[in-house]
Amino acid sequence: MGIEAKKFDLKILLMEKEQLKQQLKQQIVQFLNLTDVQPENIKDDEPLFGEGLGLDSIDSIELIVLLSREYGITIEDPKEGRKILVDINTMANYILAHQTQ
Amino acid sequence: MSRIFITGVGMISCIGNSVEENRAALIAGQTGITQLSLFPTKYSGLRPCGEIKIETGALKAKLNAQEKGVTRSSLLGLHAFREAVEDAGLSLEQVGSFDTALIGASTVGGMCLTDELYRDANEKGQGSEYLSSYDCASVDLYLQQRYQMKGIINTINTACSSSANAIMYGARLLRNGYAGRVIAGGTDSLAKFTINGFNALHILSPEQCAPFDKNRQGLNLGEAAAFVVMEKEEDIMEGRKVYAALSGCGNSNDAFHGSSLSEEGDGPYLCMRQALNEAGLGPSDISFINAHGTATENNDLVESRAMIRLFKKPPPFVSTKASTGHTLGAAGGVEAIFSILSLFHQEIYPALHFSHPIEETGLMPSTQYKKTALQHVMSNSFGFGGNCSSLVFSAVHP
Amino acid sequence: MYIHQYSCISPQQTFDNIDLVSLHESVDNKLTAREPVYKDIPRNILRRMGKAVRMGIGAAMPVFLKQPVLNGIIIGTANGGMEDCIKFLNQVIDYDEGLLTPGNFVQSTPNAIAAQMGLMHKNKGYNITHVHRGLAFENALLDALMITRENAGGFFLLGGVEEISTYNFNIDLLDGCFKQETISNKALYSANTPGTIAGEGAAMFLVSGSPRDAVAVMKGVQTLHSTNEPEIKSIVQQFIENHLPPGERVDLLITGENGDSRILKYYHSVESLFDTHTTIARFKHLCGDYATASSIALWLACSRLPLPPHMIKRRGRQTNCRNIAIYNNFRGSQHSVMLVGLL
Repeated sequence: MGIEAKKFDLKILLMEKEQLKQQLKQQIVQFLNLTDVQPENIKDDEPLFGEGLGLDSIDSIELIVLLSREYGITIEDPKEGRKILVDINTMANYILAHQTQ
Repeated sequence: MSRIFITGVGMISCIGNSVEENRAALIAGQTGITQLSLFPTKYSGLRPCGEIKIETGALKAKLNAQEKGVTRSSLLGLHAFREAVEDAGLSLEQVGSFDTALIGASTVGGMCLTDELYRDANEKGQGSEYLSSYDCASVDLYLQQRYQMKGIINTINTACSSSANAIMYGARLLRNGYAGRVIAGGTDSLAKFTINGFNALHILSPEQCAPFDKNRQGLNLGEAAAFVVMEKEEDIMEGRKVYAALSGCGNSNDAFHGSSLSEEGDGPYLCMRQALNEAGLGPSDISFINAHGTATENNDLVESRAMIRLFKKPPPFVSTKASTGHTLGAAGGVEAIFSILSLFHQEIYPALHFSHPIEETGLMPSTQYKKTALQHVMSNSFGFGGNCSSLVFSAVHP
Repeated sequence: MYIHQYSCISPQQTFDNIDLVSLHESVDNKLTAREPVYKDIPRNILRRMGKAVRMGIGAAMPVFLKQPVLNGIIIGTANGGMEDCIKFLNQVIDYDEGLLTPGNFVQSTPNAIAAQMGLMHKNKGYNITHVHRGLAFENALLDALMITRENAGGFFLLGGVEEISTYNFNIDLLDGCFKQETISNKALYSANTPGTIAGEGAAMFLVSGSPRDAVAVMKGVQTLHSTNEPEIKSIVQQFIENHLPPGERVDLLITGENGDSRILKYYHSVESLFDTHTTIARFKHLCGDYATASSIALWLACSRLPLPPHMIKRRGRQTNCRNIAIYNNFRGSQHSVMLVGLL
C-alpha cells in the first residue's frame, strides 16, 4: 500500500515536471521575445547561455525576474542565478525544490 | 591650432553648492554619499546616494525660478550655469549673444519626475505642468529661454560620458569658428528611473562605493550639475582668470555590449590614446588621471587594464565618485572641473574607501591629499552603449 | 561636406521600391513607419530592439553596405527608444520599485541607436548622440560638417531617428501638439486648426570631406531659438546669402509646414524671401511631424526624385534644380535652415 502511494506521487511529480518544463519554455520565449524560437524546439538539456539559445548577462537577470514573478523564487545574487539557469532541467528542478507559491 | 582655455567654472553636487565648496570637501576627504532623506523611493535606507540636500522648492526660491514646468534637473543646471557665467565675468549681453554657444548634456532630464511622467504618459485628462519638460533637452531649453540665448544650443546624451562629449563638442565649435565662447557641461538629478534601472542591473552598491578596491560592490548614484566656460586663447583679454587649457579630447566606442565594457577595454584605451594624440602628448606626460572609476566590478577592472595597456605604469589616479557618487550625464563635467582644479591649485584629492587593490592589476589610487606639480591631467568618462570619452587638461602658467 | 549615400525608412514607401506618388494615409493622426523586413539584422539582436533602434539600424544598412569601414557614427534623436523608456518606467510604478527587468532600461537610452550600430558593425570610431529636441538632427549635421573638415579622408554615418510611442503621443497630445480632431494627412495643409499629426522615421547619410562620387554638397546649416518672426526671417536670409554661390539662386525650398495654424506665420515669412523662380514644396504630410523630421527633407533633397503634385505648394520657374534650401521649425521655437547643392 505504502509503495503504491509512493509510485502514484512520483507519477504526479513526473507529470508536473514535464508540464512545468513546457510552461517554462513558453515563458522564456515570451519573456525574452525570442521571436525565432519555437518553445517545443528547446531541448531540456540545451544550454541557455553561450552556445544553444545564446542568451547573455542581461537575459540572465530577466530570467531571475521571471522566476520571481511567476514562481515566487528569490535569487539575490546573479552569480548564484547562473548555476540555476543552466538549462531547462536545472531551472525546473530548482523551481520544484524551492517553490513557495 | 589655437589653444582652448577654461575661463569659468560652476558646479553643484552633494559635496557642495559651489566649486569652492566642492574643492574644500575634496581636500577634507569628505563624501556626500548618504542615505536618502529628500528623494522618495523604496530604496532610501538601502542604496546610499549622492543627494544634494536642498529641496526642489528651496532651489526654486533661491534661484527665483518660479516659471511653470521647471524640474529639479533644470534648477541644478541653472545653479551651476549661473556660477560658471559669473566666474568667467560674462555679462548677460555676452551670454545672450549670437556667438555664445551652450552645449549641455543629460541622461535623465525631466524624468526625475518619474511619477508625474507616468501619469502624463498613461492617463487622459488635464496633464501636469511638466508636459514639455521631460526630455533631456528641457534643461538647456530652459537655460536658453532664461538667458535669451541666440547662439548654438545643443544637448548631448551618450549616457555616462555625455558631458565629456559636450565639452569636446564645445571645443570643436570654437576651433571651427561656430562660436566665440562656449558654456559646456551637464546636469542630472536623482530619479526613480535611474535608481531602479541600475538596481535592476545589480550594480548599485548597498554601501558607500569603493572605486578600484578588490571588494567593491557597485556604484552609488549621485546628482549634480557642472558647467565650464571655454574661450580661445587669442580672444581672452589680459588680466582675466584662466584655469587651464583643454588640450586634447578622445571619443571612441567599445563596440562590445550594451551595458558592460570589453575584457581588454578597447573603447577606454582608444579614447585615452586619441586624447593624448590630439594634445600632442605621450603617456609619460600625464601627471594625474581622474578615472571614471564607478566602482562596479566591470568598469574598474577594465579601466585598470586599459590604463596599464596605455601607460604601462599608470600615473597617480583617483575616482572622485566615492565623494560625489556617479552623477551620470553630469559626471564628465564634474570631473573635468575637478581635473581643472587639480591643475590650477597643483594638488591631488584623495581616493576614499580604498583598502585592497584588485589582484590582477595591483593598481592603487592615491589616497592622500597632496600638493604636487601637475602639468597634464586626464579625465575619463565611459558610458553604457560603449560610449567612451577622455579629456586632457593642461596647466597654463601665467 | 559631401553626401555619398542616403537611405530612409518612413511612413511612405521610401526604403525599397520607392514610390512617393501614392500616399499612405495616417490613422488616428499618426503616420507610422512602413518598416522593411530586417533580414540583415540577426534575430537574436533584433529581438531586443525597440522601433527607433530597429529603424535606425535598418535605414543605415545601405550606408554600411556602401562603406563598411566608417570613421564614426553621428545620430540625432530627441527621444530615442521612448517606448522602452516608458515601459521601464511603467514597471517601476506598477511593480512599486520591486524586482524589475533591465532590458528596457538599457534599450531606452537615446544613445542605444548609435551604440547598437557601433556594436553590430564593430565600429570603434567617433560615436555620439545629439538629443536637442527639434534641433537634434541639425546639431548632428553640424557635428558632421565639422568632423568631415577635421578628418579630410574620413567617412561618417549621419542620421536622424524618431519613433512614435503611445506614451509620448499621449504626452504631446495633452500638451496641445497634435490636432484635437482626426484628420487625414492628405488634408494636413487645409485644416487650419492648431496642432499637427504625429510621425516617425529614420534617414541616414554617408558623408565625407571628399567630392568623389558624391551626390550632394552640404553648404551649411543654421539654427535659432526664437519666436520673433522678423528675426527668424532675417537670419534665414543672411544664411542663404552667405552660403549660396555668387550668381546662383535657391531653386527649391522644402519647408516643414505641418498644418499647425499657430506656426504657419513663420513659414509664410520665410517663403516670402523667395521669388517666383523658386519652387516651394512640403513634406510633413509624408512623414508626420517629429523632432528629427528635417532629416527626411534632406533625404528628399538628395534623392532627386520628381516631386509629386501633392508635395508642391508653389511651382517656380526654375528648370534645373541645383540649390535646395530646407527650412523647418519645431513647435514654433526651434528653427533651422539648411542649404544643399546637388552635384
